[in-house]
Amino acid sequence: MTDTLYYQPKSVDEALQIKAELGAEGTFLAGGTDVVVGIRKGKLKVARTIDLSQVPGLDGIRRHDGFLEIGAMTTHKALEQHDVPAALAQSCETVGGPQIRYLGTVGGQIGTASPAGDVSVALIALKADVELRSAARGTRRLPLDEVFVGPGKTVIADDEMVTRVFVPLGRRSDFYKIGKRDAVAISLVMAAASVGPAGDVAIAIGCVAPVPLRIKRAEALLDARGLSDEAVDEAATIAREDCSPISDHRGGADYRRAMAGTLTKRLLSRLREVTPVKAKPAESSAEVA
Amino acid sequence: MTNASGVEEQTLTLPSEQEVEKLRAAEATWSLSFTLNGESVELMVDPTETLYDTLRERLRLIGTKGACLEGECGSCTVLLDGKPVTACLVTSPQVQGRTVVTVEGLAKDDRLHPVQESFIACGAVQCGYCTPGLIVSAAALLAHNSTPSVEEVREALEGNLCRCTGYTKIIDAVLEAAGDEPAVMSVGGEK
Repeated sequence: MTDTLYYQPKSVDEALQIKAELGAEGTFLAGGTDVVVGIRKGKLKVARTIDLSQVPGLDGIRRHDGFLEIGAMTTHKALEQHDVPAALAQSCETVGGPQIRYLGTVGGQIGTASPAGDVSVALIALKADVELRSAARGTRRLPLDEVFVGPGKTVIADDEMVTRVFVPLGRRSDFYKIGKRDAVAISLVMAAASVGPAGDVAIAIGCVAPVPLRIKRAEALLDARGLSDEAVDEAATIAREDCSPISDHRGGADYRRAMAGTLTKRLLSRLREVTPVKAKPAESSAEVA
Repeated sequence: MTNASGVEEQTLTLPSEQEVEKLRAAEATWSLSFTLNGESVELMVDPTETLYDTLRERLRLIGTKGACLEGECGSCTVLLDGKPVTACLVTSPQVQGRTVVTVEGLAKDDRLHPVQESFIACGAVQCGYCTPGLIVSAAALLAHNSTPSVEEVREALEGNLCRCTGYTKIIDAVLEAAGDEPAVMSVGGEK
């Protein structure tokens, strides 16, 4: 063997140095739940593996400056066992089985960029930011929904690594997944929504577009009109219109489109039940179907 | 060789065990050390192979079973630093310096782990292929939670598929094993 095909850096700096040298040839290995399967099945061409298991300081959860800061190598199980926003906890609990949740990481899920990424959908609906770092340019921070551009495709540069996720605190949130089975089933459709302290709404839906989809048109409508019955119905209509689902062995495009609307309405109704938001008076919250 | 339909038949010659050993040795370019079932292990591996391959093919610990080899079935569940993970999803270099316990490491001296005893007592085994993975997942649960509810047992085992039993006797067996003393239930290697 003339070249090393497997790298095991001992620090973030070393990992970034290796990534900068390898560029697109180098693939980060975090929890391995997607990368190892992809390699075995031949679906993922990995020329060089950069194993992050021996890099300290990439995992951990802390509260700082109004945000929950989550290290990229934090596992689904660690998030599930920590006091995190409801949608995030629920999305982590639905990933795989325990064995997958002990391995899979939040940074790995973002890097994999699956439109069926449960945790990515929850994080987008929580208006999370992601921190990317490179040896050459240091760190940059951008909204998570701007990271994904297609299945497996992101704006993350060839020399960059996902280092942290920032989740704003104080948003009420909820998550709902439709799958064939409760455990170890990839979502058929799933969605998350949140309401901020000022009443601003965010909605994201998974498995209905090439990327985890944020429904900004519906958010704008709800921000302007509050969570009235009519506004919620219109938001659900927008969700159906703005998605572009495919049919596959898990379900049909028509069903996914219909569920995008149904889940939008269900999540918004549930969020309204907990605390009535803005325009609607308190007593009307009981009318929610 | 030509068969009745005139199609050339290929004779399949399997490599001898020695030849396989030689091939495996040639791929082993990565030096790995970790704790396995309470003992320090040092060996050379192919860095792209999985812990599942290393355990079965290099260390001959064949209690760990593989069915799907993509993290769906749980048959290859082992404990990594005390936590249940599917060995087919872990590359061997990732366990450097860490602690692995396989189903072979659960028995202490000549005594089976209480979960192993109760699987036998309750008849929680049919074809047996998923059993090692289920026992490891159940042992991991009971190491933390000595008196789990039925729901907690179901959740702990949700990543292990069994196609024979319908799970009823498996859940009975785990509940039966519950309540033993923590020292007996310890699986080791926790961080």
